[in-house]
Amino acid sequence: MRFLRRRRKRRVCVVGLDGVPFGLLRRLGDESVMPRVAGMVASGDLKQMRAALPPVSSVSWSSFMTGANPGEHGIFGFTDVAPESYQLRFPTFDDLATPTLWDRLGESGRRCAIINQPATYPARAVPGVLVSGFVALQLAKSVWPKEHLGALEGMGYRIDVDSQKGREDPDGLLDDLEATLETRRRAAEYFWGRESWDYFQVVVTGTDRLHHFLWEAVVREDDPRHERAMAYYRAVDGFIGEMWDRFHEGSPGDGEGEGFVLLSDHGFAGVRKDVRLNAWLRENGYLDYEKEGPGSVAEITADTRAFALDPGRIHLNVRGRFGRGCVAPEEARGLRDELAAGLRELRFEGEGVITHIFPREEIFRGQKAELGPDLVLLSRPGFDLKGTTKHPAVFADTHFQGMHTWDDAFVWSGLPVADEPEIADLAGGIVGWLAG
Amino acid sequence: MAKGFTLWFTGLSGSGKSALAERVRDILLERGMKVEVLDGDIVRQNLSKGLGFSKEDRDTNIRRIGFVCNLLTRNEVVAIAAAISPYKAIRDENRELIGRFVEVYCKCDLDTLKARDPKGLYEKALRGEIKNFTGVSDPYEAPENAEVVVDTASEEVDAAVEKIIGKLEEMRYVPAGDGRGYTEEEEEGIKARLRDLGYI
Repeated sequence: MRFLRRRRKRRVCVVGLDGVPFGLLRRLGDESVMPRVAGMVASGDLKQMRAALPPVSSVSWSSFMTGANPGEHGIFGFTDVAPESYQLRFPTFDDLATPTLWDRLGESGRRCAIINQPATYPARAVPGVLVSGFVALQLAKSVWPKEHLGALEGMGYRIDVDSQKGREDPDGLLDDLEATLETRRRAAEYFWGRESWDYFQVVVTGTDRLHHFLWEAVVREDDPRHERAMAYYRAVDGFIGEMWDRFHEGSPGDGEGEGFVLLSDHGFAGVRKDVRLNAWLRENGYLDYEKEGPGSVAEITADTRAFALDPGRIHLNVRGRFGRGCVAPEEARGLRDELAAGLRELRFEGEGVITHIFPREEIFRGQKAELGPDLVLLSRPGFDLKGTTKHPAVFADTHFQGMHTWDDAFVWSGLPVADEPEIADLAGGIVGWLAG
Repeated sequence: MAKGFTLWFTGLSGSGKSALAERVRDILLERGMKVEVLDGDIVRQNLSKGLGFSKEDRDTNIRRIGFVCNLLTRNEVVAIAAAISPYKAIRDENRELIGRFVEVYCKCDLDTLKARDPKGLYEKALRGEIKNFTGVSDPYEAPENAEVVVDTASEEVDAAVEKIIGKLEEMRYVPAGDGRGYTEEEEEGIKARLRDLGYI
């Protein structure tokens, strides 16, 4: 007589690495900087993945956590403009218009523990626990339920690094990155044993900060901080390994990796120049300001026909849509085509800058799609598209060393994932697998 | 329009049921919901006037409250009941009748209740001056699967209210709170964060 094997309860553990490109992860695995990742790659399937559009963390993580297109979940960037005043507004977690995968899991009685998820501030009720990530400000408003606040404070939990150090004190930033990763590790350990969960997720956002400020240290061996950058990646690899081991504790052998997911929300590349789209629009007669040195797009003139928001979002100033809209709705399509044609010709020292121009209807679908930008632009790596209004020159040097990229995020998944995946594809697979 | 439901507070006398019920009512009213509170003490002065504290009378009282809660619930009102409701079987009967039923167990140890004792009831009950006093001379059957358990001996009122509202949000019985946008000061903080990373 054979004993029937008890079916293991299905669980999912997700580790997010913010802003880590596919190629870099694979290389760091190959070069033994990330041996645990190398082991996963050898035994599983590492795939290149497309981020959401535009490729910025708030949008891409919102697509991950909802499985929805930005036209459905309604998050198009870290900023929006108020349609009447054109003042910048900053979407909160409450602006997310579609249920998260955690909400869906909760409906079937499943519990989640989520740590450092960007774009979930202020924290609200989830079926389990949530610790919000960027742009979270206060820990007290980042934790749900509040009963865990004391424990997180007690362990010295840090929401984020002090990014000002990135500019002024790079070594201090590296210290901060290490210390913050350590508190992420402690929080994961704390919730792992304390919560009865079916879905566990922790996101490392330090990788994105490292790349913004010290990309050269990551990719160039002759950079004076290369070793420290690699030490940080070794620590990240150790953390991934720790999560993997914990996930497999008590169930070695068959099905190794099943239910484990490692992913990034967008890629990264080195940056050569900032490209200020509002300066280009002004130079080409589409935009002007009430006065010199404007603080934001709130100061555009009434005859401005288009303006840009970070990163690479162009809005037409259409009548009926914006308070001072001057473009007749029937003229919008023609203006958009004209802008697209002009932007395609944008060059720096003979090199084309814009690689993709997506019209709204091509990439956004859903009830919020109309609120999205009319055009989303992507640029050649090295040219970071900006929505600033403060500088008159189109091209400018920057103190940042890295910029986001779209089509080279990654996913390693112990769950079925489509070929050529997009980040929004993952949630459905996770919910379906846990229900199986 | 939001659907109704019944929020049922159960627990010993003085465990904080009425206070929590009022706080939750105010929040739900602010969120535009129609709310009615059925407080055990008040119900006994009218709907259940004349009933005593035998098991039979207690069961009748709780069934009556459940009956009214059900009428309110099906008419898209949030019915909040705050009654000792000591017997599990009758609470479960109401749960089955109403369907959209959320039980909140206000847990509190007897020593704390005796120390609180704002009406001097525990003192009298312990001296034998009040008969059939739940928790002293009458049984209380604690819920085994309440949707929310608040330990009012150790938890702050604000935390307990947040826990209850959070559960209702999680169950999608109430919409997420409005007005959670950023304050001016917070906006400045967010701007600084975004500026540091080059997003504005």
